[in-house]
Amino acid sequence: MIKAKNVYKTFKTTDRREVKALVDFSTDIKKGEVVVIIGPSGSGKSTFLRCLNRLEEIDSGDIIIDGVNINDKKVNINKIREEIGMVFQLFNLFPHKTVLENVTLSQVVVRKRSKNEALEVARGLLKKVGILEKENGYPSQLSGGQQQRVAIARALAMHPKIMMFDEATSALDPEMIGEVLDVMKTLAREGMTMVVVTHEMGFAREVSDRVVFMDEGRIVEEGTAEHFFTNPTHERTKLFLSQIL
Amino acid sequence: MVCGLCRRACQATKITKKRGERFRIPPFFKERRLVLTFTKRSIITLVVLAIIIGSAYYFFSQRGITYIWHWEKMPEMLFYHGAKSADDPTIRLRMGVLMMGFMLTLKISIASTFFGIIIGTVVGIARLSKEPVTRWLSLTYVELIRNTPLLVQIYIIYFFVGTMLRLSAFTAGTAALSIFAGAYVGEIVRAGIQSIHKGQMEASRSLGMSYANAMRYIILPQAFKRIIPPLAGQFISLIKDSSLVSVIALADLTFQAIQGVARTYHAFEIYFTVAFLYLVMTFTLSMATQYIERRLAISD
Repeated sequence: MIKAKNVYKTFKTTDRREVKALVDFSTDIKKGEVVVIIGPSGSGKSTFLRCLNRLEEIDSGDIIIDGVNINDKKVNINKIREEIGMVFQLFNLFPHKTVLENVTLSQVVVRKRSKNEALEVARGLLKKVGILEKENGYPSQLSGGQQQRVAIARALAMHPKIMMFDEATSALDPEMIGEVLDVMKTLAREGMTMVVVTHEMGFAREVSDRVVFMDEGRIVEEGTAEHFFTNPTHERTKLFLSQIL
Repeated sequence: MVCGLCRRACQATKITKKRGERFRIPPFFKERRLVLTFTKRSIITLVVLAIIIGSAYYFFSQRGITYIWHWEKMPEMLFYHGAKSADDPTIRLRMGVLMMGFMLTLKISIASTFFGIIIGTVVGIARLSKEPVTRWLSLTYVELIRNTPLLVQIYIIYFFVGTMLRLSAFTAGTAALSIFAGAYVGEIVRAGIQSIHKGQMEASRSLGMSYANAMRYIILPQAFKRIIPPLAGQFISLIKDSSLVSVIALADLTFQAIQGVARTYHAFEIYFTVAFLYLVMTFTLSMATQYIERRLAISD
C-alpha cells in the first residue's frame, strides 16, 4: 500500500548547515499492517511520516501510495491526503470550533457530505473514542487525552485508508496516555493500516506487526516486535533499548 | 441555590472568580452583564470628559477674554425645522450642515473600512505567498503607501488618477482612504496569520483541505479574532483621517466645519461640536469592537 524507494530528505538549519533527515530510505507497508517506527530523536521518524502526505517535500526517491507516485507534478495532493489520516503530537484541534465542528468540518468541505450525514459520522466516531458527552465543548475545555481522542475522531471522519500517528502520546500527562493508546489499539485490531511513531514500547509490543528502528535517517533494524525486543541483532538497537527499557 | 434569581446571582459571582466556567452562564444573563459593563464604561468616560471640558471652560473665563458664546446656534447646524430654499419650500425637519457632514464622513468611513478590510486581507495573504513576485508586489504596495503622506495620496488620486478615470470626489476620496487603510490592515492581517500556530495549517491540509479552504475556515477566523484590537485602532484612525478628504471639496464633517466658521465666525463652538461628533463615531466603534471581542472569547 505504501512503498518508499530510496528517499532522501535534507533540511537546512537556520545557520545554513545541512541535516540529513532521510538517507536512502526504503520500506514497504502492506494493507492492514501496523508499523511502529522507533528511534532516538532526530533520527527522521517524524520526517518520514510527514513526507508520506507531503507536509514535507522529499529531495529524491519515490513514495508510492496505492499505486500513485505522490510527488508526481500531476497528482492532486489534496486527494491523496483525504485518504491518509494524521494525528499530531500537539493535537492541532481547531480552537475556534466545537468538538463536533472539528469532526464535521472537513467532511463537509472536503468530502462534500451533507451536514446531517457528517453529524451522524461524527457522533458515531465520538462515541467510539468515548467523548460524545463533550460534543458541544471547545478544545480548550478538554484535557489533553480528550483532545487527542477528538483529533483521532477528526482524522477517522474522512474514512482514510491509512492512519499516521506522530508521537500522539508524547505531549500527554502519564495518566492520559492509556486512554489514547486504547483507541489506537482498537483501531489496529479493526485492521486499519497504521504507521505509528511512538515511544510507547508497550504499544509496539502489543499490536504492531513490524517494528522499524531508525537512526540518522536510515533503517537500522526491522522485524516483528517479538524479534525486536527479545533478540535485537544490531549494537545500536541494543544500546537504544537499554536506554529506554 | 434553588430559586431562579438567586441561582443566577450565585453563578455570576462564581464566574467572576473562575474564568474557565464562563460557558455555564445562561446566555441572556451574560448579554445583560455585558451591556451593563459597557454602559458603565461609557458613563465614566463621559463624566471624565465633562470634568475636563468644564475646567477648561472655567480657566478660559478666568483669562479675561471677552467672548460671547453662541452655543444656541449649534442645534440648527445639526437639525432644523423649515424650508431649504425656494426650490424646496416644504417645511419639515431637515439635517443641518454639520449633520450632513457627519453623514458623509460616516458614509466614507464605512465604505473605506469595508474596502480596507478586503484589500488588507488580500495583501496580508499575498505578503506570505510562496510566489516571490506576489510577495514583492504586496511589499512594494505596503511600503509605498505607508511611507508617503495621506494628504499627498489624496491629491494624487483625486487630481491624477481621478482625471484619468473621471472619478467623482467621493469615489476618489474613498479610494484614497481604502488604499491607505489597506496597507496598514495588510500588515496587521499578515501578523495575525503568522501568529497562528503552523500546526493549524498542517492539520487542515492533512485532512485534505486546499490552501484556500484552510485559510477560509481555519486560519483567517482565528487570525481575525486575534487582530481585533489593532484593527479597531486602525479604523478609528481611519475615521479621523477621513477629515483630510475635505481638501478635495468633499463636504464631510471637517469641510462643513470650515465653511461654517467662515460664514458665522463661531470657530470655538463649531470645532468643539465637530470634535464631539467625531468622538461619537470613534467611541461607538471602540465600544462595538470591545463587545465583539468579548463575544468571540467564548472558545478561549
